[in-house]
Amino acid sequence: MKKTKNSRVIFQPTAYQAMQTGINKMANVVRPTLGPLPRMIAFERNTKNERPEILDDGGTIVRRIIALPNSNEDMGAMFLRHVLWQQHEKAGDGTATSAVLFQSAFNQGVRYITTGGNPMMVRRHFEKGMEIIIDELKGMATPLEGQQKIAAVAETICYDPEMAGILGEIFDYLGEFGHFEIRNGHTRQIEREYVTGTFYKMPLFTAEMIKDRDKLMAYAEDVPIFVSDLDFDDPAQFNSLLRMAGEAGIKSLVIVANHVSDSAVAFLLSISRNPAGFQAFAVDAPIPEDGQPVILEDIALQVGAKPFFKVFGSTAEGVTLEDLGHARRAWADKEYFGFVNGKGSPREVHKRIDELKTRYDAAKDVESRNKVRVRIGKLLGGSVTVWVGGNSEMDIEMRRARLERTVEAMRGALINGTVPGGGVALLACRPTMLRMAAKARDEDEKFAYRTLARALEEPARVIIENAGRDPDVILDQIDKAGPGKGFDVRTEKIVDMASVGIVDAASVTTAAVYQAFASVALALTVDTLIHHKKPETVFNT
Amino acid sequence: MTDEFNQESEGEEVVYALAASPDFAKTGTCFSARQSGLYRSDDGGETWKSVYESLTLDMPLVTTSVVVSPAFPQDGLVYAGTNGGILRSANGGETWEVAVLRTPSPLVSALAISPDFANDKTLFAGTMEDGVFRSTDQGTEWVFWNFGLYDPNILCLVVSPDYQTDKCLFAGTENAIFLSRNSAHSWKETSFPLDRGPVLSVAISPNFTRDRTLFAGTDAHGLFCSKDAGKTWQPVPGLNVTSSINALLISPEYPTKAEILALAEEQLFISRDDGLTWSDWRKDIKFEGNPIAVAAPSGLSAGSPLLVGLSTGSVVLI
Repeated sequence: MKKTKNSRVIFQPTAYQAMQTGINKMANVVRPTLGPLPRMIAFERNTKNERPEILDDGGTIVRRIIALPNSNEDMGAMFLRHVLWQQHEKAGDGTATSAVLFQSAFNQGVRYITTGGNPMMVRRHFEKGMEIIIDELKGMATPLEGQQKIAAVAETICYDPEMAGILGEIFDYLGEFGHFEIRNGHTRQIEREYVTGTFYKMPLFTAEMIKDRDKLMAYAEDVPIFVSDLDFDDPAQFNSLLRMAGEAGIKSLVIVANHVSDSAVAFLLSISRNPAGFQAFAVDAPIPEDGQPVILEDIALQVGAKPFFKVFGSTAEGVTLEDLGHARRAWADKEYFGFVNGKGSPREVHKRIDELKTRYDAAKDVESRNKVRVRIGKLLGGSVTVWVGGNSEMDIEMRRARLERTVEAMRGALINGTVPGGGVALLACRPTMLRMAAKARDEDEKFAYRTLARALEEPARVIIENAGRDPDVILDQIDKAGPGKGFDVRTEKIVDMASVGIVDAASVTTAAVYQAFASVALALTVDTLIHHKKPETVFNT
Repeated sequence: MTDEFNQESEGEEVVYALAASPDFAKTGTCFSARQSGLYRSDDGGETWKSVYESLTLDMPLVTTSVVVSPAFPQDGLVYAGTNGGILRSANGGETWEVAVLRTPSPLVSALAISPDFANDKTLFAGTMEDGVFRSTDQGTEWVFWNFGLYDPNILCLVVSPDYQTDKCLFAGTENAIFLSRNSAHSWKETSFPLDRGPVLSVAISPNFTRDRTLFAGTDAHGLFCSKDAGKTWQPVPGLNVTSSINALLISPEYPTKAEILALAEEQLFISRDDGLTWSDWRKDIKFEGNPIAVAAPSGLSAGSPLLVGLSTGSVVLI
């Protein structure tokens, strides 16, 4: 069997032209969604009978675009698509901002380089300018506190006053690491319910352990907790534990285990038969994360237990009272195990939270970050379940997607603060770029900073354009109005953006700047496009 | 003990807390929370009478905390914290209603009342093991949320003097000091050094909105001060004590009169220069028993009366 492979090589000027066309096509799809008066994008579904999918989120929109028909243009489009998806993953919002920043800088860059500019030097100055812009944005950030301010920021992201109000309350109560459960609702409204304490997806081994028929849960107060990932196949394995409990006068016991056999469950049920006597219920140990029993360790920390791990050869023999954790209240049902006010060492809990916050900052992708965040939220205690309602099933789906996106962006805002919205924070960085351009030592450096300065006004331009107004006129008014002033497209007035609550999450804006300008710097250095054909298989006969 | 002090010895018990009526200067009305119950005096602490008689108790009801309404002369509202619940009286202690906190019942270690109580009807109860409870109906119903309060053992509790606007309160625990900005719905740990707890006492400036000042007394690490609402804390070196600082009071005219009273090492110390230097409140005082609680119904100016509760169960007016 013999394989052949052909590659198609595209040189300049076609490479730049094609990439530019592809990038502009991708950016132009997303541009209309920027600002509080966005336009929607409709996607045809796979089955023609279905109503088109209506989207206003840049990240989701670009994910729907799989390929452009022209393979050269497609490379440019897919390059920007990747940039915008990274923005969506890391920050949860700001994809349209990132897209227009990228588009402006790239178009200017291509014009310059095709007339003789040095792409490597331009790249170096772009990257330096980008760092300076990001530092300026961070310096502008103010902390986000208070229910009303949080709600105001949420509304600039979700454009849904009901949703924003609820998010304002939730984040004010639970903080940036608060745990959310988001579900589809059955009414037109958004509803929420808070849960005090902590709970994990660790069901009872049998529903017969449920003694509270009203609340459908097993429940105990001031209860010792045995924390393990052990397998209890034989009821006799409980003997040592139960004997110790009896000698210590323990009235109730929670057992966390990886497996409890049917006979062992029956044994526990039999010794818990008398409602006024000893009660025990057993819950399924949590699944290890990436092979590590970190959740079990978190639980042990919170309740002050010594965890028993089978990997170390631990058994329930010789368990002492000091090995057990305690909680003021513990409950379990068919899905979850929870407790309130575990008696673990607050210092150790504090230390664990600090460690996890460091890991959260260092996390490279949304999935890793979310796992750490969930752990922090549970250690802090308290969570909320939100039911997202709407006028129709499609409306509910759209609202739920918007809520999830907004929650992600709001976490960043709470952690890193906010900057004036409406593109004003980026406009505020222009003077520094223009000053640096004036002091530039060569044409490439001057071009780079002037390009960044021009690109920084693009988000404000597009917001104004999308609202149906002339951006040149409005930007001139903004410039004359002074620092912090911007255009409120809803009231059509020049206002102090921060004072009226038009702010953006600093983390979203800085991420958009980073994604856009770091990627443009790279894209402008692309000189040649190479397409690989699928390999041909030739059989010798 | 010198003759000029009036005292009433109640045997071997502890005075945990003291509360004076806002019109103490005129009426001499005050309450002491003790191991044997709650007592009221109407003669400035000279004589005391149990206010639990209407409860017909089988055994003494240990009372660990007490507060009175800011409008006590008009509404007669008194609250007493016990092991398991909070007692409320609307007639100065003659009769009581019991509010049982959720089971298992916690020990109520601290009570704090909103300065705007007449309007918001809000008060807070700090507990051992269950964090902070809040009532917004003058103590009938109590709820707890405690998001972020990972140390639920509350040793002291203070409400911001501007609570009506800022909804702030501070809780000292065995390990840390927590701040809530939303009426105890949720808490954030301040940067108080973790290894300097337990925090036995916290006092907040009456001018907190402007000066953002707090003082915190610890079990064995002295006195700390924050001038930025708990963001940063510094030790107050002028007060060189290594034992418990059980109580702290700040002058009602702080910072104009930068007076701070600290109950530490079985002595009362006063600073009149914002903690730079300290002296004995009165050098001729020798308590029979350890001072545990203190109230300054008329402020901290020289010559102002102080009520001091002792570990022997006595309350002394000095």
